[in-house]
Amino acid sequence: MENIYKPDPMEVVEVHQQTADVKLVRIKFRDPEKNANFKFNIGQFGLYSVFGVGESTFNICCSNSKDYIEFCFRKTGRVTERLWDVEPGDTIGFRGPFGNSYPMDAWEGKNLVFVAGGIAMPPIRCAIQYALENRDKYGKITIVYGARTVGDLVCKDELDEWAKAPNVDVLKTVDVAPPEGTPWNGRVDFVPTVLKDAGITGENTIALVVGPPIMIKLSLPILVDAGLKDEDIFTSLENRMKCGLGKCGRCNCGSVYVCKEGPVFTQADIKKMPDDF
Amino acid sequence: MENQLKNAIRKLLEEKTVAVAIGYGRVGVDGAVGAIFVTNPDDVERLVWNSQCRQNLAVHLTRPEVKALGKPAVVVKGCDARAVVTLCNEAQIARENVYVVGVVCEGIVQADAAGAPTDKLCDKCLSCVEHAAKNVDLLIGDPAKAQELDNQNAPNAKTVGNQAKLAKLRAMSQPERFAYWREQFSKCIRCHACRQNCPLCYCNRCVADKNRPTRIDSSASLKGNFAWNILRAFHLAGRCVGCGACSAACPAGIELDLLNLTLANAAEEQFGYVSGRELGQAPLIGSYALTDKEDFIR
Amino acid sequence: MSHVITLDQLKQTLGAKLADGARVVAPVLRGELAFFQEVSDLEQASFAPRVRFQNSIKEFFFPRHETLFSFVRQGSDVQLTDAPDFDVEQIVVGARPCDAASLPILDPLFAWDYQDRFFQQRRAKSTVVVFACKESDGHCFCSAMGGAPDNTAGADAIMFDLGDGSFEVRCVTDKGKALFTGKTTESDKVGKACDPPKVDFEIAPIANWVRNNFSSPAWEELSLRCVGCGACAFVCPTCHCFDIVDEGSYSKGKRVKNWDSCQTALFTLHASGHNPRATQGKRQRQRMLHKFVIYPDKFGQNLCTGCGACSRSCGVAFGVRPLLTALAQEVAKSEN
Repeated sequence: MENIYKPDPMEVVEVHQQTADVKLVRIKFRDPEKNANFKFNIGQFGLYSVFGVGESTFNICCSNSKDYIEFCFRKTGRVTERLWDVEPGDTIGFRGPFGNSYPMDAWEGKNLVFVAGGIAMPPIRCAIQYALENRDKYGKITIVYGARTVGDLVCKDELDEWAKAPNVDVLKTVDVAPPEGTPWNGRVDFVPTVLKDAGITGENTIALVVGPPIMIKLSLPILVDAGLKDEDIFTSLENRMKCGLGKCGRCNCGSVYVCKEGPVFTQADIKKMPDDF
Repeated sequence: MENQLKNAIRKLLEEKTVAVAIGYGRVGVDGAVGAIFVTNPDDVERLVWNSQCRQNLAVHLTRPEVKALGKPAVVVKGCDARAVVTLCNEAQIARENVYVVGVVCEGIVQADAAGAPTDKLCDKCLSCVEHAAKNVDLLIGDPAKAQELDNQNAPNAKTVGNQAKLAKLRAMSQPERFAYWREQFSKCIRCHACRQNCPLCYCNRCVADKNRPTRIDSSASLKGNFAWNILRAFHLAGRCVGCGACSAACPAGIELDLLNLTLANAAEEQFGYVSGRELGQAPLIGSYALTDKEDFIR
Repeated sequence: MSHVITLDQLKQTLGAKLADGARVVAPVLRGELAFFQEVSDLEQASFAPRVRFQNSIKEFFFPRHETLFSFVRQGSDVQLTDAPDFDVEQIVVGARPCDAASLPILDPLFAWDYQDRFFQQRRAKSTVVVFACKESDGHCFCSAMGGAPDNTAGADAIMFDLGDGSFEVRCVTDKGKALFTGKTTESDKVGKACDPPKVDFEIAPIANWVRNNFSSPAWEELSLRCVGCGACAFVCPTCHCFDIVDEGSYSKGKRVKNWDSCQTALFTLHASGHNPRATQGKRQRQRMLHKFVIYPDKFGQNLCTGCGACSRSCGVAFGVRPLLTALAQEVAKSEN
């Protein structure tokens, strides 16, 4: 019988440092056949291992048209401290894909508003990449992304690339103004303020909001005021997980297992869940 | 005595000397005794004092949920009182921020496998010479009775109860002793009831829970179990007050108090140090005296 | 007509299985306490009447510590070796009905979309023989959980102590029949279990209260005396939460699955320092929710057999039954 807890060995292909403590890693299955057959849906997550150290949960942060997987992490704990040191050619483990996904098909024909704060860009990046790869299928795309400082923004180069695509607004912002002389073509404001100024209209619009709780809390009323319904506002939750398989019993909010029934939820779903976040 | 206790606590709550009284009540199955937290003077009737008041209530003094209730009064036996003193000496609580209600304890009975009281006194009680809690703000019960019991126990205090068990262990050969602890630790399920019930295991993050790096395997394997139980004993060296809360709480019945007693004896024999004996006493491991032995340095 | 086996015949039957290479798990006295453990000789086993044991038979299906796979680093590559399959016959004998009843409760969890072969292989390879209860104590509340002193859920055979050194055997499944066929003698003696334990609360209204009172201050008040250890979860036959950790070194080691408990502060602590269940009240609430709301929602059964192991093992006289009793009072308050 298959061992659901045994990861696949993956080769680290590329490592891109994003900020002082955030890296983006590209990996491929060591087994070429597995690599060719691997499929996942936008918004799903995986468990990434450094053998001898442990496993951590991250969203698969690239679109599913590639022949690789990318994930992004911040150096904060035991596993990520060791992940920080991986180099191309190294082997790490991967289990996945797990969880539900963003309904990219159902979103076709709609305007998309992506709102992210800090390290929460990666769980949205996969959807942005996918939407831009399928640009004709979606309406206007608005990306509001902020971090504390310019140095804390991840995927900085991509933000400028995305802005070049047709009918895409990229609104960058930082909480703290960069020191004088630092090149910065974005705003100095909190994400919700920038979102308010973005002129979102609720009609035929989907929003995907991921970030710190306070950012989400202040962004939601703006989207609701713009006319979005709770069913049209999506988020991706991040609870502590060990198995990713609905067994180990720690990621639940009430009767909802984030690993199996999430990580993607609408605001309408969240309102039904107990406040166990 | 129970009435004396209830009246004293009612007064403390009514006069707002304390915000909460941590005492014993019949809260468990078949009236089993456990901690209750009385904030309303009308609820003092729930308090009990009897030979089943096994738990060391000082463990609650450092719990954040209990601290949030305000200044506590705590009911302590002689052994428990030493834990309060050590908590003060280790700067975990300020003595003036807790009102210590000592009781004269004539001994606590052991519980059976299902937690029900037996008629057998706990091993620690056989050698007890502190039937009246010391360093308290108020003593409930008859000090003369306590003195009488202390006098009874004093001549044999170093040879009965846990000391007798320990002497038996120490008389074993090293391989026999190792086999004994191997058998004991093989039962350990790493529930950490020993730690959680110990008033002096107050570390914010226990070394057993640290994983950067992992010093003790969290697995309930023989390796992890040996590492955990021995490391815990070492961390309690010169600190353990011998209240027996660890053994009493252990679901596997491991004689953890013997492990701790080994080190407590060493502290007393080598340094004349008894944890929790007096307020203001510097922690054994954290202090140095010119008279300290140096013969172990080679 | 009943089927009877003597204690000696039972030991012979199990002894023959041992000789065949089977693993036999039975109650063993260690000091004054009885533990379920693997025996190498049936003389180690103690089948004397006893309400419950220090551990649950859970650990022979879901061990406290289990290797998932091992690894060796070779240059930049890593070789993984799968843990071996569980392919030895296992006979668990002497369990109480409330212990065995946990197994069918846990089946759907370990088969929920992803098949946990570690649990499932042990289940498939095991024969469970329960002993009907001869007595209950104040911790027992199987009668509130749909169980009984002679419940056969999860059992392949049930034995009734006849008090004369023999047992009436009733086979429940083919596995039970395979173990006992030809080993028993026909008789007219019929065994009887003790009366069901008395309970003064009903689960349904309490479960309903638990579902609808997530923010009640009662959770913190009732949980004040809980010191947050894992004893209740580890002795519980149904608690199944686990941790996954790596052991060994960076170059060579293994990944293991260890029991874990929702009562510890660390259980849900995020790397960021945020903890959704930062207080003991929230952790006890989770335990009751999981047992009486979440698990029934997901799998149609309560995650509790009413065995009382939690309260027997609790250092602070807490556990499910005392908490249910206290919550019954909350229910009564809410009805007034």
